[in-house]
Amino acid sequence: MNDYQNMVNRQRKWMLYLLAISVLGWGFTDYQVIFQSLILGQTVGFFNLFLLQKKTDVIGEKAAANQMARSFGSLSRFASAALVVVIVLRFPEHFHIIAAVLGLMTPYLVIMIDFIFHKSSKTTSTKRGE
Amino acid sequence: MTGAVAAAIAVGLAALGAGIGNGLIVSRTVEGISRQPELRGALQTTMFIGVALVEAVPIIAVVIAFMVM
Repeated sequence: MNDYQNMVNRQRKWMLYLLAISVLGWGFTDYQVIFQSLILGQTVGFFNLFLLQKKTDVIGEKAAANQMARSFGSLSRFASAALVVVIVLRFPEHFHIIAAVLGLMTPYLVIMIDFIFHKSSKTTSTKRGE
Repeated sequence: MTGAVAAAIAVGLAALGAGIGNGLIVSRTVEGISRQPELRGALQTTMFIGVALVEAVPIIAVVIAFMVM
């Protein structure tokens, strides 16, 4: 398995952990509106992450085979973010906008933290002279 | 009406920036992969992180635009 597939699996694993934490918060705390907004945002954010990973893989595959890739799927990711905002604005008594946006931004935080952490662990694990 | 115009301008400018950024990133990555297919994993990883960083901003712009509208 190459670096990219390892990274994809790590990111999916951490997104599922965070989603599980949100579900636990929804079930066991009094902040249900906040946590269900987080769940909504993280679910759509996870879907966006999945689409981005899949499209990146398809484009790499096509480039390696000297074929043409059609699109990068940005529009569907923007549309899903807009869908979250429309749902939150339509049902303000059930959802909180800032928590939903935080949930929507969670995959990007996961990507950045994973990149920084993995980069630092990669540089520290190599010994001098290697 | 003014809210809709503001939302349209916000989303349009953010999408323009993201389009230019994504175009630059993907074109260089495709060029690199077609030159050296054995580096596909590393180049894909770099492209993925770059695209994620670029796309976070227009998604926030979409959210703000829908809130303003």
